[in-house]
Amino acid sequence: MDVKFNNRDPVYIQVIRHFKEKIATGGYEPGQEIPSRRELANNLKINPNTAQRAYKEMEEEGLIFTEGNLPSRITNDPEVIRNVRKELILEAVHSFVASVQSINVPLEEALHLVKENYQRNKNEQEESL
Amino acid sequence: MIEVKDVTKKFGRKPVLKGVSFTANKGEITCLIGINGVGKTTILNAIMNLTPLNSGEILIDGERINKHSYEKIAFIPDAITMLPNMKISDAMRFMADYYQCWNQKRADEMIGFFKLNPNDRISTLSKGNTAKVNMLLGLAMDVNYILMDEPFSGIDIFSREQIADVFTSHLVEDRGVIITTHEINDIEHLIDKAVLLNEGVVLKEFNAEEIRESEGKSVIDVMREVYLK
Repeated sequence: MDVKFNNRDPVYIQVIRHFKEKIATGGYEPGQEIPSRRELANNLKINPNTAQRAYKEMEEEGLIFTEGNLPSRITNDPEVIRNVRKELILEAVHSFVASVQSINVPLEEALHLVKENYQRNKNEQEESL
Repeated sequence: MIEVKDVTKKFGRKPVLKGVSFTANKGEITCLIGINGVGKTTILNAIMNLTPLNSGEILIDGERINKHSYEKIAFIPDAITMLPNMKISDAMRFMADYYQCWNQKRADEMIGFFKLNPNDRISTLSKGNTAKVNMLLGLAMDVNYILMDEPFSGIDIFSREQIADVFTSHLVEDRGVIITTHEINDIEHLIDKAVLLNEGVVLKEFNAEEIRESEGKSVIDVMREVYLK
């Protein structure tokens, strides 16, 4: 597990973000067991209280759940997982739109470039496999 | 909780601590930050009851420090206090004889954690391994609070990483830790609280996650504001 943290955003929020990405991309499967708070702190080299905070928030958001004394697990709720994916996509689109608008690129041209670029990246990824 | 309340200390006529106040909670890592000579080590010595105060008081779990305080707190100095010709195992035996709160099981575990050889003599250890032995001798005590004086200074990067790993491991558990440092880079994400000191006064005391959340600032941003204004 390797996460590059920045210094200015709360670490617990960056941890949650990391989990959301893994959930959205299938890196974590529904119902999969996740590390204990202590293990997570140790793996990511973060303060154990921060790991605890991230897990508490994720539990409240329904991203993970804990039954009794068993290890915590990723949610099985497809609705929650769909929403995580949607949230990440919207976030990416939002920042894309903001940066395209700031340099005055017309929508048509931007979309054309997006398609072209997307296809090229995909082809390169497939070739490298 | 350790409460340092308006503590003043003079060496001769020279004031070293000029009304220092801060708190350090159990289950948290509190970091005293400041350049060398601002009184960090003096504060740790004062908490250990090793130096008489001119005024102010220090409370451990609500009780004024007294001659039994050492059963609640371990002090890890920045230099080893064991004799050079002792083996690591001798040093551990010495601690076991001297302190009732010595936990041999945790000590053995830490030998493995740090990959130390108990038969090595103190005099033959690298700086990094000396720091690890120091760490071991303090952390193996069953105490509520651990004070560490500059645990990261002057040692190689891999030893620093191993020592940083201690903070996220069960070896610290829910104990309270106070560490002093003049360099925060390595451990910015490890600490709960920062106490910024300058010339014997506390300039600012804050929780690192809270300041990121409420002001979007890193610990270093805050230090820059406080020290360079």
